[in-house]
Amino acid sequence: MQMSDAVGFSASTPTVWRPRHAEEAYRLKKQFGHDAAYVSGGTLLRTQWENGSPVPGHLIDLSSAAEWKEAGADNGTFAIGAQTTLSACRSDPQLQALYPLIVEASRSIAAPSIRNLATIGGNVSSGVGDSLPALLVYEAQLDWYDDGGERTESLEDWLRRMQDGTAQTDSLLLRVRLPLESANLDPSENLSENPSLTADPAHSFAYYAKIGRRDSFVPSAVTTALTGTIDGSGRLRRVRLAAGGGKTIPRRYPEAEARLEGKAADDRSVHLLHAILMASYTPAPDPFLSDEYRKRTAANVAASHLWRAISEFAHGKEGERCC
Amino acid sequence: MLLNRRNSGERWRVRPDGPGKVTGALAYLTDMDVPGALYALVLRSPHPHARIVSIHTEAARSLPGVAAVLTHADVPGLNRFGIARQDQPVFCEDRTRYVGDAVAAVAAETLALAGSALDLIEVEYEPLPIVGDPEQALLPEAPLLHPEGNILHSKSYRSGDAEAIFGQCAHVVEETYVTTRQMHAYMETEGGLFVPGPDGSLTVYAPTQHGFMDRLQLSRILAMPERRIRIVSSPIGGSFGGKDELNVQPYGSLLAMVTGRPVKIHNSRRESVRSGLKRHPMTIRMKTGTDESGRILAHRVRIVADTGPYATLGAEVLNFATEHVVSAYRFGSVDVESISVFTNNGMSGEFRGFGGNQAIFALEGQMDRLAEAVGMDPWEFRRLNMKAADEPGPFGQTIARTDGLAKVWAAAADSALWKERVHLDISENSDIISTSSATFDPKRGGGDLPLWKRTGIGAALVMHGAGLGYGIPDPSGGRLALRKDGKIEASFGFEECGQGLIATLEQMLVERFGFAAEDLRIVIGDSDAVPDSGSSTASRATSMMWKSLSLLQTPFTEKLLTEAANCCGLPVQRLRLGPGGIWDRESGERAIGYPALAERLAEPIVCEASTSYPVPDTDIVGAHYLYSYAAVVVKVEIDDLTGRIRVLRQFHAVAAGPVMNPQGYLGQIEGGSSMALGFALLEESTMAQGQYIANNFDTYLIPTIADLSGPVEVLAIEDLPDGDAYGPRGVGEIGSVGLAAAIASAVRNAAGIFIHRLPIDPALLQEVMPIGQWAVMSDER
Repeated sequence: MQMSDAVGFSASTPTVWRPRHAEEAYRLKKQFGHDAAYVSGGTLLRTQWENGSPVPGHLIDLSSAAEWKEAGADNGTFAIGAQTTLSACRSDPQLQALYPLIVEASRSIAAPSIRNLATIGGNVSSGVGDSLPALLVYEAQLDWYDDGGERTESLEDWLRRMQDGTAQTDSLLLRVRLPLESANLDPSENLSENPSLTADPAHSFAYYAKIGRRDSFVPSAVTTALTGTIDGSGRLRRVRLAAGGGKTIPRRYPEAEARLEGKAADDRSVHLLHAILMASYTPAPDPFLSDEYRKRTAANVAASHLWRAISEFAHGKEGERCC
Repeated sequence: MLLNRRNSGERWRVRPDGPGKVTGALAYLTDMDVPGALYALVLRSPHPHARIVSIHTEAARSLPGVAAVLTHADVPGLNRFGIARQDQPVFCEDRTRYVGDAVAAVAAETLALAGSALDLIEVEYEPLPIVGDPEQALLPEAPLLHPEGNILHSKSYRSGDAEAIFGQCAHVVEETYVTTRQMHAYMETEGGLFVPGPDGSLTVYAPTQHGFMDRLQLSRILAMPERRIRIVSSPIGGSFGGKDELNVQPYGSLLAMVTGRPVKIHNSRRESVRSGLKRHPMTIRMKTGTDESGRILAHRVRIVADTGPYATLGAEVLNFATEHVVSAYRFGSVDVESISVFTNNGMSGEFRGFGGNQAIFALEGQMDRLAEAVGMDPWEFRRLNMKAADEPGPFGQTIARTDGLAKVWAAAADSALWKERVHLDISENSDIISTSSATFDPKRGGGDLPLWKRTGIGAALVMHGAGLGYGIPDPSGGRLALRKDGKIEASFGFEECGQGLIATLEQMLVERFGFAAEDLRIVIGDSDAVPDSGSSTASRATSMMWKSLSLLQTPFTEKLLTEAANCCGLPVQRLRLGPGGIWDRESGERAIGYPALAERLAEPIVCEASTSYPVPDTDIVGAHYLYSYAAVVVKVEIDDLTGRIRVLRQFHAVAAGPVMNPQGYLGQIEGGSSMALGFALLEESTMAQGQYIANNFDTYLIPTIADLSGPVEVLAIEDLPDGDAYGPRGVGEIGSVGLAAAIASAVRNAAGIFIHRLPIDPALLQEVMPIGQWAVMSDER
């Protein structure tokens, strides 16, 4: 015997708090605990509520803190305030020049009206946002505010703790930091510590793909990002691979990265990358697409990134020879 | 003529309701509000199948701010509804049969209070075994969902002895085609405003495709004479068949009558998904055989449709599918048996295409498979087996003669897309080219395409019946008047649900009579103000408006001219209708304006016409007399990495008589094909144990503009035989019918895989390691 239920409806209206500082926001969250949620654009929360998640009694609106909306160089890193909207990320000229995959990821998330509200902080905090694979290959750091005041943690570590359930849920994300050395700079600078490799011009590459069940405004089935360099002698250097998608918490693939280091940029490397992802990409359950399909998709798409990089490198070399 | 703005010249008009819609200024009925209105919510069953043990509403009733809580005990009239058969409970008494079944309804001062009141209604359920599959429902041990059994309707058609003839066939193809539950996905969910009058009357402002049918159904439920119920039903934010049946109207009406106050009700998207109609999922088994030369000798079809818990138009949809699995091919012998089965899944019902979409996907799939078995070009194979213009319809009935089928066939054969396919097929099979490069594949890569993308071209042929068919009353009509204020008023009982009905009616009045748009007042969607024109469904409205206006043209014109002649002292013969008034043919001047003429009349000039949709001379219920024809050619691209399909280009040849409104016609074909693209590639309202898995548009995916970016060419073939009396055939549905079959055909052409289930599963087309087939470079550096 069960009682009846009501659908798609919430009877109570939450209290909205407007803290001006991180300290105040964090204090409110500690005070109300599970009955409070940080809100930026509120776009993801909205869909969760529509799907039956309880609306908390207290919403902590982070939008009144202006300093969290800035993006720019800071302390040897490029910092993006957590309140920066995805639209702003998409059109930021410095991000476009230095971290193009973040721009591409921002472009692929939801629809324009949602990107005007949704923030990078919200996308990161969800633990499954489509910006994460791009941020991972750029080796992003996260600035948090919690009991000890401000602290910095690598995105990779935080996602690992999300995966094993040990991440603090009350911590407030202040900004995302990107190391300047991971920016899309001239590859000869990237490899300057090993001058022998810069004899021939090197080819840097960066690819991002979000695959869903349709072409836009769609939850991701698989999201991949790949960066790296092909040195003048045609060897892969510093390959960074990340993959996520759907409810799958994104992660780097250190085994693939290590095994590709120094390998010739050719078909065998493409196959190696494919084989490693087929073996190690573990998608979270999805009611619409099978695990096997998403595994293949991750492997195929990541391998196609590398294939493109090698292909472009090869064509570039041919071009040099003929001219 | 290729339909586009340039070719249409001055016939390409701004639609009268366009600016309001694109600016958002237009108010839909669910946007309406009146002071003092109550807010209503419906309590629906959480169980797909359950016995109701008890319902307690005392706590909800005693909540301050709650004006009424209703259950089955509060329905004064018939506690059932259904257009064709009234078997769906307004409120369930002792049993629920799907997750949308209503148990109670509440009206309160605020929406929040109504929600709280719903929470306070105590319903004790005893869950019953779920019948989640129609094949399971047919088993002898299946629980009975209705006392008469689990079969809503069966239909069969036989001609010759197909079973005996299969033995003589040189080629026999057997396949099972499966289509799934598609959602209408209209922008505006079901809702409305219900206003009781001081005299005990009721005005209903709620979208429907047939106001007079709603009035009849509500009068049964409310036990009120129809004349005391007024239905205002346009404009509608999309319907596609989904709002033809009653949805929230019984609850709003009952609550308004009980409380004596206006009541507002509007489904959330979740509630719309849960309670609303969907396209019937069908399993269609076909066995078809040809002789050595490719002539079809026998065609056997078995259809099983999942109609959900109640009838609505499930029987009629099945009849339509039964007719269209035969369509316009000359089968030597035919044996079709169809069955529509009750389940505890969501409600299936009317949806643009009305069973034709499922039928054509299966039928055209058979044609492609048979052509390959015979070793023929698939389009030539169709020509070989197509009926000629003077042959009977699918059920052997006499039909209105047109050359539409042959003409759309030829237009497709002549299209640039089909020629591209023929060229590619020749290249692919040519020894000279294939030996020149071991890896050359004309359908793979090339241009801007990477090597893991393949393209293919396919086509499908469509025959689509219009009107309700033989055996179902299908009357229509309209009225023209010159009113006191000088406006020419055209009144029809049709609805504007986004299809462009108002624009088409305006254009017909301007072009047929010579009125200016400013002279006109178009009145639709108000049962107190319009004649009953029948439902805005079954691709019938344009035909019926055309017929009514052709009946009205002479009497209305004569009356206007006679009165004008009296007023102006000129002979009738010198006068003609024109923009702004009646014109003198000799002087070329306007003799009298419509307002001036109206002012001088003691009574308005009013002419009414009655007609009905033509039906064939037959005794087969559902058989049609008028048909439209279409051929669809499509080019797709398959991404081997993901198995996903992109539609690159579409060509539609449509033979449906003269084009009344080029923009509306084009919009119907483009819009219909967009729905078909969703049906083919994306949309599936999956159910598990009687519950919807996708409850909103975040997981139920309809195509966005990004999926619809390829060009769509529409060729309108307007010719009709001399003496044809039926004018324009409908195009409201036909654009939604053939594309899925054409896409499946293109996938076969590109990837060599036959598709038998929609939407197409990308996993089927995904390659395990697509990149390895093409060398990037060797490792010899």
